Amino acid sequence: MEKINNLINKTDSRIKQSLISQDDDVWLNFLPVFSVLLGLLMSGLMMLFLGYNPLIVYSNMLNYAFRDIYNIADIFAKATPLILTGLAFGFAFRASLFNIGAQGQFYMGAVMAVACALKLGSFPSYLTLMICFIMSLTGGSLWAAFIGYVKARFNANEFLVSMMLTYVAIAIMNFLLGGLLKEAKGEYPQTDVIPRSGWLPSLIPHTRLHWGFVVALLIALLAYIILWRTSLGYKIRMVGYNRDAARYAGINVEKIFVIVFFISGAFAGIAGFTEVNGMQHMLIEGFNPMIGAEGIGIAILGNAHPLGIVLSALLFGALKVGGNLVVQTSRIPASIIGITEGFVILSVILSYFIRDKLIVLRNKKKLIVQEEHRL
Amino acid sequence: MTLHPILNTIMNNKADSIVLKNITKYFPGTIANDHIDLTLVSGEVLALFGENGAGKTTLMSILYGLYQPDEGEIFIKGERVKIRSPHDAMEYGIGMIHQHFTLVPVHTVVENIILGTEKAYLKHLDIKKKVKKIKEIGKRYGLEVDPYTIIQQLPVGIQQRVEILKALYRNAQILIMDEPTSVLTPQETEKLFNFIHDFKAKGHSVIFISHKLNEVMEIADRIVVLRDGKIVSNVLRQEASEGQLTHMMIGRDLVIPKTNSSIHPKSEMLKIKNLTIMGDKQNKAIDDLSFTVREGEIFGVTGVSGNGQEELAQALCGLRKVKNGQIALSDKDITNKDVLSIIHQGIGYIPADRHKEGLVLDMSIEENLFLKNHSNPMFLHYGFLNQNKIQENARNLMRDFEIKAASSKSRVMTLSGGNQQKVAVAREVNIGTKLLVAVQPTRGLDLGAVDYVHKTLLKEKKEGKAILLISTELSEIMTLSDRIGVMYRGRLLKIIQRKDAKVDEIGLLMAGITEGKRNGKN
Amino acid sequence: MNIITGLLVASIRMSTPLMLGALGEVFVERTGVMNIAIEGIFLMGAWGGFVGAYLTGKLWVGFLFAIMVGVFCGAVYGYFTIKLKQHHIVTGVAINILTLGLGLFLYQLLFGIPLLPLTVEPLEDISIPFLSDIPIIGSALFSQNILTYLTAVLIILGYWVLFRTPLGLIIRSTGENPEAVDAAGINVERIRFLAVLGSSALDGLAGAFYSIGFLGLYTNDIIRGRGWIAFAICFLGNWNPLGILIGSLIFGLAEGLSVVLLTSNFKLIPNEFLIALPYILTIVATIARRRFNVPAFLGKPYIKEHS
Repeated sequence: MEKINNLINKTDSRIKQSLISQDDDVWLNFLPVFSVLLGLLMSGLMMLFLGYNPLIVYSNMLNYAFRDIYNIADIFAKATPLILTGLAFGFAFRASLFNIGAQGQFYMGAVMAVACALKLGSFPSYLTLMICFIMSLTGGSLWAAFIGYVKARFNANEFLVSMMLTYVAIAIMNFLLGGLLKEAKGEYPQTDVIPRSGWLPSLIPHTRLHWGFVVALLIALLAYIILWRTSLGYKIRMVGYNRDAARYAGINVEKIFVIVFFISGAFAGIAGFTEVNGMQHMLIEGFNPMIGAEGIGIAILGNAHPLGIVLSALLFGALKVGGNLVVQTSRIPASIIGITEGFVILSVILSYFIRDKLIVLRNKKKLIVQEEHRL
Repeated sequence: MTLHPILNTIMNNKADSIVLKNITKYFPGTIANDHIDLTLVSGEVLALFGENGAGKTTLMSILYGLYQPDEGEIFIKGERVKIRSPHDAMEYGIGMIHQHFTLVPVHTVVENIILGTEKAYLKHLDIKKKVKKIKEIGKRYGLEVDPYTIIQQLPVGIQQRVEILKALYRNAQILIMDEPTSVLTPQETEKLFNFIHDFKAKGHSVIFISHKLNEVMEIADRIVVLRDGKIVSNVLRQEASEGQLTHMMIGRDLVIPKTNSSIHPKSEMLKIKNLTIMGDKQNKAIDDLSFTVREGEIFGVTGVSGNGQEELAQALCGLRKVKNGQIALSDKDITNKDVLSIIHQGIGYIPADRHKEGLVLDMSIEENLFLKNHSNPMFLHYGFLNQNKIQENARNLMRDFEIKAASSKSRVMTLSGGNQQKVAVAREVNIGTKLLVAVQPTRGLDLGAVDYVHKTLLKEKKEGKAILLISTELSEIMTLSDRIGVMYRGRLLKIIQRKDAKVDEIGLLMAGITEGKRNGKN
Repeated sequence: MNIITGLLVASIRMSTPLMLGALGEVFVERTGVMNIAIEGIFLMGAWGGFVGAYLTGKLWVGFLFAIMVGVFCGAVYGYFTIKLKQHHIVTGVAINILTLGLGLFLYQLLFGIPLLPLTVEPLEDISIPFLSDIPIIGSALFSQNILTYLTAVLIILGYWVLFRTPLGLIIRSTGENPEAVDAAGINVERIRFLAVLGSSALDGLAGAFYSIGFLGLYTNDIIRGRGWIAFAICFLGNWNPLGILIGSLIFGLAEGLSVVLLTSNFKLIPNEFLIALPYILTIVATIARRRFNVPAFLGKPYIKEHS
């Protein structure tokens, strides 16, 4: 009983302190909500162009998305890889690094996962899944660590390198799909369906929601713990906030680059695992082509914080599920979903700008008040 | 007052006069210029004298159109004008030579001088014609430069010439020079002064911003002293005295506070021997430097900025490699060790630019106080942060150093400048168990905060710490140091005991004028 | 011998849009701004070019419209990064995501989802009479489409403007030391914004090359990273129009090679490797190149200390 009391007291004081540390710009944290609404507004305008009533479209989306358990579960299933690629970008972002190559790392992870699943068909399920998990993690992390390494060692432009590596990853994947991993039938550039032992068990029966979602949540928790509870995370955040001060504090900034890209790539690689072993159960050429870019958008919307990322991923998931159904039942083109996502992200950027301006304005006001008190 | 004769001249409509009336400028947290009235006549060299941060550069930036005043007006030749940009200023014949050159390092002299002077953007550039004109101007004013050289290959003194040529090319009648001699050798300074005399003789004016007493006394016709954004004195050179000017600049007589009593010097803590450090431009930033700092003493290193202080500080920190020589801490060799080891040796470092090097503004106070302990097992539990220890550390330090904030979780960004510096100071004093290196520790702080930092340093000295103070603020050096070393071009010209220290001598040493030269000069 | 000629022709053709994009990027990066939206603007240019050409039946209208679309996108990007001073990469990525959806959306808006892709007749080659008969290189150099000839002119023009005019001096100085330009009384933000618009115009044109200059249709993955290659070429060409020329030719060659080998029956090297060649080349060059002539202030927003 006492332990619970202590816990409650601790949490209470923590909340109070977090409120203090926000220093009365808590309300500014609601800006993401504003930007989502703005984004929805803008694509609503697009819908008007087509002659559709956006209010009806949006309400339909909501209805469809939550119509039955299958759809609701689908939201979480669709959110799973998004959480992970969002974490990939967000984690690196905390160090002021830009991992644009999550798409490529995702593919490398997926390739590793499917290869293991296909070859280890006779193994017991838990073993297969574990190996697939580890190998997908390895594929993604090494693919990304290369970027970190060339940045640390040669000061190469990580933006360009990660961008190009994605295309190389696609090439590798397509090559394998055309040969080594190709399905037995040999007809299409895709693999066979992986054996049952490689299937992630379902979380809710008769839906597509699988245990990969739990994995994603755990990874989000892990990201949080690393960043805010460990010495490594502290160093990472410091490098992100102020590289000079970090150097003066004795932190090996180059080493941090490599570590951050490694971890970030690992997250993206695991996304490959969840998609292959949990959702698709195979590898098809050109699948999930936007998962990396969407992850970036989600990380931005979620303010590069694991909790925000999870929520944003769920939002995008709902958007996809509801949006897909609306597209199927009306004649709205499917690309409206992508556009809505794009507008939301742009609005987020706009909201950052507004927030910065508001903070400067408030500081100016504070100063004028101070001055008046002095005189 | 001595202002009257000049006012009379203005009433008589002397050409080219500039009048600044009631100029006021606010910056976040401070008043840079506080209702300033100033007049300039043609054929005059006006010196703006004062300590760093007194508002001199701000005032001239307003005149040059880089900043807009919050209050006040500018009159040129009796007419009220609005100077919205350097473009306008140049139209009125005002040119400015900045402290930090606005040159493009990778371009040639010509390219820099003619930048922005051509109205026809897409017409072919006839470089040869421009070169001819530039050579003409150079000859007329005795400022010869080879127009085809690339800026970054030129010595600093010649680069400054290019800056001046830039203004002259645009027909400047009035030149504003911001601390022009801070980067010059004595010979180059002499050449510059010759040019100023020449320029004045041709009927033009110069506004000369400086915090160096001897130069102001040599070159100026009239001296205006600024302090804390206000004009505190406006005298003709003949009527000014050095003591009076120093007094006006600092605001009080340089009295060594009673709290600073020399304790009996103990053993040597920091030993620098024959140190040579290479700078970024393949030059010798530090050249065969040797000195020691003892426990319980403050050793003050002063000099004009850019004479190697930065490189020395970086080497002591572990951020710059040493080419030759040795750094020893209590007889243990720490030359070229990495930053973390040096921190663990017990060296604290209060940086010049606390925002860049010392604090992480977006993090909380306790996280900042914990900054250098990130790998300290005392604060960690198998790699996990021990929040309790971190908070406890913060609580203690905040109490001991009187850091005022809502809680230890407040972000450092929200603190006042003085409190921010307290955080940096608290942390470094805590870490620096053996040696404290303080570089420009009171830059940009208000008087109260400056006082606090000084008191802290003196307290630490009393407790037996060795303290190395590197600062360009003469008053600070004279107040705090037990021994003073004057640095010039990477060498220590002289080490002086506090009781023997004289402002004049130090000022001259800072300009590289040693005993021998001085006797030959005056 | 035919293969070599064919290769050269294809290489120079494929290098055209790369050259346009890289040239634009040179100008904008010389002022200190990175146009990260380049890939997205290529795509919008491809869309705009196709729409303009299909609806009016005239190719030149398509190209004109593509330029306008490019400028519009550039204006949005420039506004966010220069005026609002938001982060280049975040904004650029956002625009790239947006344009991917927008391109397809607007295409379907206008044309629905046709059973077979809509086509237009792409640019024809114009052979310069005498010169194109030179053996081996003749047709490669003098039997190209008009856009390629235009691009060659633009490169020379670009070199001249950048290094021989006052405007070029201002542009170069802005990226090296914006303070110097500011002190000379020139509005740094305006120069940068205009540079962004200019480079976006070229990007739009380059994108249109893929849709109406070469393939004659529009699909959503018509660009497939070529915008990024142009971005890399600017970098690898040392921010110099002549370096761009060489870089684009090399990458054009890589692409031409993959096209030629694909269509012939050379199965020695896997297709995917050929396709990946340009990208691998970029990575190697990015690493090997010690940042030589990077404009000193590239990517840093110019914030006046106070105002």
